[in-house]
Amino acid sequence: MHRILLPALAGLLAGTLPLAAETESEGLAAIKAFTLEHNAALVTEAKRLRDLVGAYAATIAAHGNDYAAAWAAEGATLADGVRGIRAQWLVASNHYETIEGIVAGIPATARYDLILDAGNPGTEAEDVADYDLALPDGTVLERPGSLFHTITEPLFWGSDPGHAKLAADLDGDGQVGAGEMLFDANLALGATAGLVFWSEALMADMQAWEPNRDDAFTAVVTMTPTVGDYFGEWKESQFLGGAGAAFVAQSRLVDVLAIMGGCQRMYAAAVSPVVAAGDAALDAAITGAFADLLALVAETRDREVQGERFTAEEADALGAEAQDIAERVVAQVLQAAARHGVEIRG
Amino acid sequence: MRLKSQLRFHARPLALAAAVAAALAGLLLALAPKPLPGGVALAAVPFYRLPFGPDDQGRDRPFWPSRLQAAGLPFVDPARLPSSADCAACHPREFEEWAGSLHAVADRDLVYEATVEANEDIVRNPEQTRFCEGCHAPSEMLAGRVTRFVAVPPADALTEGVACIGCHTATHADPEAGNGALTLAYGRAVADRDGPAGAALLADPRAHLAAYGAPDTTALMKGAEVCGACHTEIYDASNSRARGPQVVQSTFAEWRESWYGRNGITCQHCHMAADPAAQVLALRRGDLTPPARLSHRFIGANHVMADTRLGAALTVLRGGLLPGTDAAATGATLAVQGRQTADFLRTAAGLELRALRPTADGLHLEIAVRNLGAGHNLPTGVNDQKHIWLEVVVADAGGAVLFRSGGAAERLGVEDAEAVAWIEHFLDGAGERITNHLTFATAAVVWMRDPIPPRGEDVVAYEVPLAAGAARPLRLTARLYYRIALPDLVFANLRRDLPVAPFTLAELAAELPETLP
Repeated sequence: MHRILLPALAGLLAGTLPLAAETESEGLAAIKAFTLEHNAALVTEAKRLRDLVGAYAATIAAHGNDYAAAWAAEGATLADGVRGIRAQWLVASNHYETIEGIVAGIPATARYDLILDAGNPGTEAEDVADYDLALPDGTVLERPGSLFHTITEPLFWGSDPGHAKLAADLDGDGQVGAGEMLFDANLALGATAGLVFWSEALMADMQAWEPNRDDAFTAVVTMTPTVGDYFGEWKESQFLGGAGAAFVAQSRLVDVLAIMGGCQRMYAAAVSPVVAAGDAALDAAITGAFADLLALVAETRDREVQGERFTAEEADALGAEAQDIAERVVAQVLQAAARHGVEIRG
Repeated sequence: MRLKSQLRFHARPLALAAAVAAALAGLLLALAPKPLPGGVALAAVPFYRLPFGPDDQGRDRPFWPSRLQAAGLPFVDPARLPSSADCAACHPREFEEWAGSLHAVADRDLVYEATVEANEDIVRNPEQTRFCEGCHAPSEMLAGRVTRFVAVPPADALTEGVACIGCHTATHADPEAGNGALTLAYGRAVADRDGPAGAALLADPRAHLAAYGAPDTTALMKGAEVCGACHTEIYDASNSRARGPQVVQSTFAEWRESWYGRNGITCQHCHMAADPAAQVLALRRGDLTPPARLSHRFIGANHVMADTRLGAALTVLRGGLLPGTDAAATGATLAVQGRQTADFLRTAAGLELRALRPTADGLHLEIAVRNLGAGHNLPTGVNDQKHIWLEVVVADAGGAVLFRSGGAAERLGVEDAEAVAWIEHFLDGAGERITNHLTFATAAVVWMRDPIPPRGEDVVAYEVPLAAGAARPLRLTARLYYRIALPDLVFANLRRDLPVAPFTLAELAAELPETLP
């Protein structure tokens, strides 16, 4: 039963179920349409996030940018504002996660993944989020890292003490717990404006993208093997490691499901018709392995939602199992790519 | 005369017997299975990249900057490569021993994996990690999986680090060049898969012997050279930012120049003894008898990776369970591994109070740190991480500490710059110290204090200031500590604040005489 239900659950969590296309061109077109649909939603939700942050910043500004005064005068409004911003951040972020496996895998759009979600602030030789962020007060942050995960996630959830302006009892329980604070409105305004700007820029480039076989194969083989890294981040997060672990706003398993769902979608729609035409058995094997991979992740997420707490040992074992499946998928896709003369542009 | 006639009488049957014997020998030779090539050509592995170009003769270098070589075709089909768990069917004792070893987890050990990733992050070509994987993951290398786009599927045999086939198919080693300078004939292992198995193998073991008991391999495995190929590590422009050769590990050369090397006492004699500590103690007494049986535990100096007190964390650190094992079997073999490692480490060093005299300000004392049992320098290996330091404490009669060097802070993982320590510093291009083993960023390697050669010693002098009227008698305690890795490495690469407990190699306690000479 699990073999049937879990892939379906995985597909639903990833956006929609992966649909095999009749022809390669139909599949590529479907991928582009799917990505544009979620990209448009991302732009809409990023604008909503920017507007919520604007309201928060206006409240602070109304008190001369004195956070303590603003909290004293309009604490309930600000607490509601922070809650709303966090919820809206998750909505926007999840729209991006749904298409991340595609955006990051296509060479023409990969840089947007670094800027929006996955890049580092120059701390490593590769995968740097190469852009500057201008803030309303005129400050320009050079290569500040990704907008979702380096800047706004720790900013909104208070895990970056450098940008927490005032400890505040947001939940009204009489105590100031972890993450209860008012964050830097100036940085938040700049970062959310940046999210809107770069989401729209991605949209423009995605509209201009001409779907092709090389990109489809490249997306699958570059993004699928990242599953192990995401399991590693899950293991290091507070979802497993307790208070001392790295903070993430939602379980990394949600991201894994979305990203692997994107890879599965790309394969089913755009790559499978090519592979199946030359070797139906190989296509069936890859399709089955993708289903297994998504089922494993979905089942793990389901157990987590049910309240199960995993040990680091279990997380490692699950991550290794997922990585093993992913590597088998990629090896098979690359073998097919070689047969069809596909160029992989990582 | 009688002899001559007898010879004439037997000449015919003798000649006939000789001809029959020669014919039988020829037939056997003709029928004997020959090792098949069993390899895969470079062109047959799609998307395998060669970013470092050919060698001086224009030949491909599929494993560069590691010096690993394949005998014959460069790659093998991993699906046809036997896993050590397969070998366990007939060699359970060897497998059980090996499963507790560091060799078994050379490519799974989480600290190693994280350090490779940290190195990979600072270079453009992920293929540069072939430098690491040549020694840590020879099977991954020879399967063609250490490349940007991996078109070869994983297999159990590839996850086993330095496995059975990693040594038992070796045909050549260059311990002077190091950096993985081994030639492996994995084709023999692949060919053996087509040979007899089970009872049929016992009845006719020739194919198996041809695969794993070939004369070149058998000869190689008796000596230290096969170990030296990986236990010699030299940084240069191909694998780091060093402009000239920087010797990072010289364990083989240290051994070769030592009393042990001169007396034919090889790595195997100590590290593969069934009871390594007893073997070293016997050697210290002058008994050079080699061990009666060689164990596959490869007991060494990494006590953390066999410390069963870590519980489940140890399994995580060791990268999970090996193929063919379960938690109970792993726990059992690790318990032995841990005990033997601790016993072994305690045979390596000794401390001796060599001089003690009063000075105008207090005391001058000298402590000899002696390499008593290691057939190589103390410390040896990857010494930007593995290091030793001396803690010296002088206390008064009431126990109040009057002098301390290399103290509690070091034990807690904070380096004490004043402590007497034997450690290498890796320096980047700007001369700044690198503490998390970023090989690819290292430009120079500098010893802070020369390591102690086999059967040698390093005498450390201390000037101990004493206030007048310190309650006598004074007590001196000295401990020689060993740590396998800097906490910085674990924190920076593994993002874990994991305590790396030191190990006490040797201790000295003395009550100082009331009247000093």
